[in-house]
Amino acid sequence: MKRIIVVSLFALIVLALVPQIHFAHAQSSQGQSEKQYINLRAEVWNEFFRMTTAAFTVGAVVSGTMIWLVWRFRESHPKNKIPTRWEKLDDPTTGTYEKEGGH
Amino acid sequence: MGHDTAEWVMVGVVIAILLYVGVDSWVVQKEVEDVPADAETIKVTGQQWFWSFEHQDGTKEISTLHVKKGHAYNFEIYGKDVMHSFNIPDYVVFEDVVPGHVNHAWFAPDQAGEFPIQCREYCGLLHYNMRGSLVVEDTP
Repeated sequence: MKRIIVVSLFALIVLALVPQIHFAHAQSSQGQSEKQYINLRAEVWNEFFRMTTAAFTVGAVVSGTMIWLVWRFRESHPKNKIPTRWEKLDDPTTGTYEKEGGH
Repeated sequence: MGHDTAEWVMVGVVIAILLYVGVDSWVVQKEVEDVPADAETIKVTGQQWFWSFEHQDGTKEISTLHVKKGHAYNFEIYGKDVMHSFNIPDYVVFEDVVPGHVNHAWFAPDQAGEFPIQCREYCGLLHYNMRGSLVVEDTP
């Protein structure tokens, strides 16, 4: 799990740095020639595609987490065989995580 | 793996992506709105139902705007009567024309040819015909 988190964070950092490197490169090459202007159309479309990628990634992470939660905490999951402490109590609010079974 | 790891991963990843979205949008917007220092100013006036242009050297044109390829131009956009919208679709120039207010837009044509200019805000009976031409000349 830690490896997945580290890889995810690394990928995000790379994702954030790539356009900045591109921007810095464009800025430095602009200094070499006065007649080089940015292509507004290309910049706007590039931004649109990057934002679309970000939006779909957020969607995948959120829906993926929810799907995993539903799958993992379903009643028929092998790890949920042993009832939790709350399920045995008359008052479920008195249970604690430390004494919970099946996890 | 703790009971709340998945939630924290989700929160962390989503916050990181939203931060990326904010920073990247800010950088691109700054880049796009940054008018080059050597841009020539052209006054654009929209009125029912035609466009008029005035170059920095005083040259005036009506409906057809002549510019040079590879040069940057900064539009100062004026309105005389009602709301219009100055639009050059091929160069992503799209700015409202508001009477009593000066709007700005810039562009740098990189292709020679003739491109349409049009009004993109309904401005009255002949709005459909409030068109012009952008002529980009391929001069060295």
